[in-house]
Amino acid sequence: MAVPPTETAVPGMLDPAALGPSSAPTTAGGRFSRLRAIGGIWVPAFLVAAILFLCFLWPLIGPVPSPTGGSILNSNLPSFSPGHLLGTDATGNDEWSRLLYGGRASLEISMAVTAIGLIVGGLLGAFAGYVGGWRESVIMRVLDVLIAFPALVLAVAIAERLGPGEVHTIWALSFFSVPALARIARAATLRVREQNYIVAAGLSGSGHGRTLLRHIVPNILPELMTFALLGMGIVIVLEGALSFLGLGIQPPNPSWGNMIASGQGLLSAQPKFVLLPSAALFITVVCFNLLGESLRERWSAQ
Amino acid sequence: MSANGVAPDGPLLEITDLRVDFRQGGRITRAVDHLSYVVPRARTIGLIGESGCGKTVSSRAIISLLPASARVTGSIRFEGQELLGLSERKMRAVRGNQIAMVFQDPARSLNPTVRIGLQITEAIHLHSDVSKAEAHDRAVELMELVRLPAAAERFRNYPHQLSGGMRQRVMIAIALAGEPKLLIADEATTALDVTTQAQIMELLRDLQERLGMALIMISHDLGLAASFADEVMVMYAGRGVERAPTRKLFEHVRMPYTRALLDAIPRLENPPHASLTAVPGQPPDLASEQVGCPFSPRCPNVTAKCREHAPPFEEQEPDHRWACWHPCGLEKAPA
Amino acid sequence: MLRFLGRRILVAIPVLWGVTFLTFIVVNHLPGNAAQQLLGINATPQEIHQLSVRLGLEKPLLTRYGNWLHDLVTGSLGHSLASGQSVTSILGQTLPVTFELVAFSLLIAVVVAVPVALLSARRPGGIFDRVAMVLSMAGLSIANYVLALILVYFFAVRLNWLPALGWVPPDHGFGNNIKYLILPAVSIALSLLCFYTRQLRADLIQQLHGEDYVTTARAKGASSWRVLTHHALRNSVFGLITALALNFGTLLGVTVIIEEIFGLPGIGHELLSAINSRDIPVVEGAVFVFGLMVILANLIADLLYAALDPRVKYGSATD
Repeated sequence: MAVPPTETAVPGMLDPAALGPSSAPTTAGGRFSRLRAIGGIWVPAFLVAAILFLCFLWPLIGPVPSPTGGSILNSNLPSFSPGHLLGTDATGNDEWSRLLYGGRASLEISMAVTAIGLIVGGLLGAFAGYVGGWRESVIMRVLDVLIAFPALVLAVAIAERLGPGEVHTIWALSFFSVPALARIARAATLRVREQNYIVAAGLSGSGHGRTLLRHIVPNILPELMTFALLGMGIVIVLEGALSFLGLGIQPPNPSWGNMIASGQGLLSAQPKFVLLPSAALFITVVCFNLLGESLRERWSAQ
Repeated sequence: MSANGVAPDGPLLEITDLRVDFRQGGRITRAVDHLSYVVPRARTIGLIGESGCGKTVSSRAIISLLPASARVTGSIRFEGQELLGLSERKMRAVRGNQIAMVFQDPARSLNPTVRIGLQITEAIHLHSDVSKAEAHDRAVELMELVRLPAAAERFRNYPHQLSGGMRQRVMIAIALAGEPKLLIADEATTALDVTTQAQIMELLRDLQERLGMALIMISHDLGLAASFADEVMVMYAGRGVERAPTRKLFEHVRMPYTRALLDAIPRLENPPHASLTAVPGQPPDLASEQVGCPFSPRCPNVTAKCREHAPPFEEQEPDHRWACWHPCGLEKAPA
Repeated sequence: MLRFLGRRILVAIPVLWGVTFLTFIVVNHLPGNAAQQLLGINATPQEIHQLSVRLGLEKPLLTRYGNWLHDLVTGSLGHSLASGQSVTSILGQTLPVTFELVAFSLLIAVVVAVPVALLSARRPGGIFDRVAMVLSMAGLSIANYVLALILVYFFAVRLNWLPALGWVPPDHGFGNNIKYLILPAVSIALSLLCFYTRQLRADLIQQLHGEDYVTTARAKGASSWRVLTHHALRNSVFGLITALALNFGTLLGVTVIIEEIFGLPGIGHELLSAINSRDIPVVEGAVFVFGLMVILANLIADLLYAALDPRVKYGSATD
């Protein structure tokens, strides 16, 4: 029935309580669930794989010109010009290439941030949930403080201090992903601990803390992965926001965010400079959201 | 509601050959199988059986409270009118108004965010056109009728402020709000302690007499039926297996299953620490096809015939129906 | 109820202190000499040193933190390095703008989400529901700055129905004030509303399928619609409040970018321009206030929760 607020002072964005019960559409039967499995999991998974391929592998093997260092002479070529499928921008850079390399930058950052969140946050949360007591409380309070700041505000403040660039952006955004995933890991650990408690007690007396973590971690991993996928969508948008504000990836290096920002001025004349990276961003985020939601559905139905 | 040409002393509710299947992702579970019984006006029928025997499902089928995965066939006639297949709108006029239901767990059956008085007046407003003030007064009347102490003050209480017994009284008040002709009490006292249980049952009996209401009393407790029911219908694995007026049933138990249920009731006359006779075995899995009598795996009187052919549910003695090839007390036990 | 609230406040206090600490650390301790950045690349070491002393940057970190905290507790947040204006008054001018934006966005989001969720939950799997779910998934996935640009393109540039930029305070005409807020509020509200719709709908469906009081209501003869609106919704409201509280932080965060795009003089915009001009006291103040507001919002949500849930408000059963 009614869900009381979480016991921490500041609930966070990825809290399962915030996401609510998973939006399983109906209680309808078997026919549709297979269709939904295909639509909900395989299609977005395939699209994500395609996007990753295009952004990371294709520029290495295919005819993709450099995204920077274009000649002014080539500027503002329309789409479908020879050699430039999507035309060129104001400084003569190939738009298709910028899209791919921009995607690579955005995805690199997002995946790194999520990975850091999973590893650091996941371990931290699992440790907290497992060990309990004052150590858990201290960890949770510290995480509370981090979560109290709106993700973008924190990221902006940190990114500004550190300066622009890919690595610094990863740092800045990790301040969001680590606490968010740590929370999830802790909640999941508490649940798993209840279930496996008897098993754990049966294991060789005082199983070493680390050994037991090795038992807990595999159990919380599915739940963590699900939220990590949902988090990817959030992080990509955040990175876009940082780059948009001029704090992340700096021009001339492309990122979907700074491409959208620089396309603003040409919005009326040539909307494609905004629409193309926006569409790329949108499709990527939709896929991650779909994947995360479908997995959440699956997993909470068990 | 018009009584379609049924004499005033005809049965209030007539269930014939009721069958309820649940379709869950490819599997079909037969929860109720060819159930038939009759509820006369102002009488109490005890519907007795183990968990999962279909007593709750069959009762919810009466007022169409089953989930969408249920398929109901057969006939349920109330005052001569067929209820199965009735449009949702017409069924809503029956629910609460002609036929009301009281459920098992009063803690969860009341909306925790609405004051109990308003939950009662809601039932009143749904079936009659009265002012808020009139509904309020009527609700307080009902609360007094169900012997809720300090009724007028309790009107503004929330469910969590009441004890289990009081909540159940509120549920009964809600059920009575529409002045129903039939009340179905689905394990209404199971979740209560023994003393409260007795009080609630007394209340129900008293109300039934006063209001001339028929009562279907669903329970797993045969002893309860013995005290309060006029007629008992024993169910097993979705089927009716024995039915008779209470006295006749207890004096001449025929179905081995009923016999086993009776034996399982702890008796005061037994010496202390005498072991309780439980009914051995488990009820059958209703998702698989049943061949033969469903009770055969657990029956002391079982023969090969029982396993192959399900016995029909028929009136074998005046006013006493059962479904068994080898009823107790009529034949010698098979060699 | 008071005990419940008291406990929540008690938990919030160390977090609040942590917020002050983290704010200070982030703004002051991270690499990069503030004085140097203020003066630029061409500054001489002496100039940097002079400014550092003037700003008190030479003192040890903890001392500076102590001073700042002390000032904070006595109500002073320092003065802007750029304009000299007190930070508190700057915040006092900009906070109301952000509040209005946030409130308006929340209003739009809730007003749309509730009926859509109700209609969806009424017939799960039906056409309305499927369309709503698809659209809401799409809406969730649109970055709000992207949406902002697209809205500006259509409504301001192409159709010229609404202004693209700017701000008119309420006392200069409420209608005008709203006009400038519509596009920014919608940019924020869309993904919120999609999120709330899905969440509320899932909660409602869970109530309808799992809760016994729903069966009781139906047994009374109530229609499905009545059960939804009068019974299930009252219980699902709590989930919505929780979601609102949880999202408040994010909501505040996006004002940074939305205010920037639309030129709204709110605290987000102030933060960004203070960052650009290296106006440290303003950055400190703004970052701190963000954290503070999130904590307050959660406390208010707890308050609402306690006020609305009869079980919390009226305590336990009288047996």
